[in-house]
Amino acid sequence: MADSGVIEAAVRSGAQWLVAALEAEGVDTIFGYPGGAIMPVYDALVDSRLRHILVRHEQAAALAADGYARASGRIGVCLATSGPGATNLLTGIANAYLDSVPLLAITGQVASGLMGTDAFQEVDIFGMSLPVVKHSFIVRRAEDVIAVVHEACAIARSGRPGPVLIDLPKDVAQSRSAAQPAQRHATPAPVIPDAATLTAAVALLARSERPLLYIGGGVGIARAEAALRAFIATTGMPSVCTLKALGAAGPSASHHLGMLGMHGSPAANHAVQSCDLLIVVGARFDDRATGKLDTFAPGARVVHIDADAAEIGKLRAADIGLAGDLSLALAALEQPLDIHAWREHCSALESLYRNRYDAPGTDIYAPALLRELSLAAGDQTIVSCDVGQHQMWVAQHWRIQAIHAHLTSGGLGAMGYGVPAALGAQLARPESRVICVTGDGSIMMNIQELATLRRYAIPVKIVLLDNACLGMVRQWQELFFAERYSEVDLSDNPDFVALARAFGIEAFGIERREQVPDAIRRLLDTPGPVLCHVRIDPRANVWPLVPPGKSNGEMMDSAA
Amino acid sequence: MIHHFEILLRDAEGALQRLLGTTERRGFRVVALHAQAGPGTICRVELTVDGTRDAGLLGRQLERLQEVQAATIMD
Repeated sequence: MADSGVIEAAVRSGAQWLVAALEAEGVDTIFGYPGGAIMPVYDALVDSRLRHILVRHEQAAALAADGYARASGRIGVCLATSGPGATNLLTGIANAYLDSVPLLAITGQVASGLMGTDAFQEVDIFGMSLPVVKHSFIVRRAEDVIAVVHEACAIARSGRPGPVLIDLPKDVAQSRSAAQPAQRHATPAPVIPDAATLTAAVALLARSERPLLYIGGGVGIARAEAALRAFIATTGMPSVCTLKALGAAGPSASHHLGMLGMHGSPAANHAVQSCDLLIVVGARFDDRATGKLDTFAPGARVVHIDADAAEIGKLRAADIGLAGDLSLALAALEQPLDIHAWREHCSALESLYRNRYDAPGTDIYAPALLRELSLAAGDQTIVSCDVGQHQMWVAQHWRIQAIHAHLTSGGLGAMGYGVPAALGAQLARPESRVICVTGDGSIMMNIQELATLRRYAIPVKIVLLDNACLGMVRQWQELFFAERYSEVDLSDNPDFVALARAFGIEAFGIERREQVPDAIRRLLDTPGPVLCHVRIDPRANVWPLVPPGKSNGEMMDSAA
Repeated sequence: MIHHFEILLRDAEGALQRLLGTTERRGFRVVALHAQAGPGTICRVELTVDGTRDAGLLGRQLERLQEVQAATIMD
């Protein structure tokens, strides 16, 4: 390959063109698992400078590529064979789709002549993945491979990012051809929001007495954190954020009330319910954020800014919709605001509902442990969560100072995300400390990836909060299903410390509160991968909580 | 409620499948469909759907598809 990124003319196999095109795209790491139909690509990898990470399950390949992409801002690439290899990728592809992560999934396929004959390890992965990809291709000719890879990467990265699938039949991968000239697509120019609409939004904001920023994960995707922070500094506007936007407002934002929604802060939810203008930036009115939609922000007019025009008005009508580049829109709206009384009101809410960590008893209080660990680990640390109660405790209590320092499966809520995403993030950002917070349910969904941590000496620090049950489901059964507990008991869990050691991972366990400081120190001081098993109370719940189907103004807390 | 769309669709593998799948998953029933391959690689699709959701939103969701050049409501 020439330094220009243009692939030199030659006669090569489709698999070799694929690898050359990935190199031309600047890809340095791919996550995968070999098998029959993808073997020509694995053969081409032998002569490639691409770093291939052999995971132990294809789902982990997709989720690790997702973590790699979120932590680095670059495209994540995963590779699997046809049939079960391809179907195992699907959860990770869906995860990237719902969280708008740039992901390239490459699957081997049976030879073209066998497609449609129910051949060994044949599935229609193109058809199966249609609802969860931004786009997809079946490559029919070896000479098209380079152009397809460049187009796929451009689609995955551009606008609202997402996963793109390339299905490569084995005969196409093996056949030799001269490539058609093709090179990387240029980055498209940012879409400038409509000027007249911007003017109307500026006027609406100037007239507002109680404006509130509702910040979503789109701010991180659009790399608009700097513009957002400048906007907050100039306007002094109070703000709330979604799960995926934790950290966006930054450490210097005053009047930032934290996460809204089901497990959000009461201060955030009360502010939303009493504001008269919502400036929505890169958020999509997800049901976990809004609670009962028709009671959400009942007195507010809405200015909705999003890179994706199809999000504007999808769930909540916007008085003003601004489709386009978030940074440009925020810069245009920036103006000093005379909202002293509203700021004071939000400050009072913030003080009233500040988190407390003085829980009674001697058992380990997970929120306090997570708070202390995040403070000790420092702001350069990346935290990767699994899904469940611990995910919400991280959202509520971890000190997060940048969007890309917090990896979480927000849209799909995929248990098993934490460990693979952490290993992907650690490979993308070797200079950063990466901590995975997981639960005893979640970790078992991708426990095999401890072998990947061991093989490549990836120094992820794992905190396993073990309540011997599926805690979030148990909590809902307690609160909303009359304590009729159904299939949530995990009291026969394996000995996780012994299990980690069997994988060659250093591990230790704690179960009393006074052990926490030493455990944090040991976790952070261990140079390689390490697992800290933390036994917590099975009856611990996540508070506060908006009951399903209720308004965000009707939060329950532990005293209810 | 019935809505009529005229859609310019790039003729690529899976394009029609993607169009119909998106329409149904976003809450509309396909009532009638006529697709005519046009000059070059553009296919003109006349699509009639029934649904209670916002047809304008469906149009924007269809226009997110890589093969859809335009989705115009003809009501």
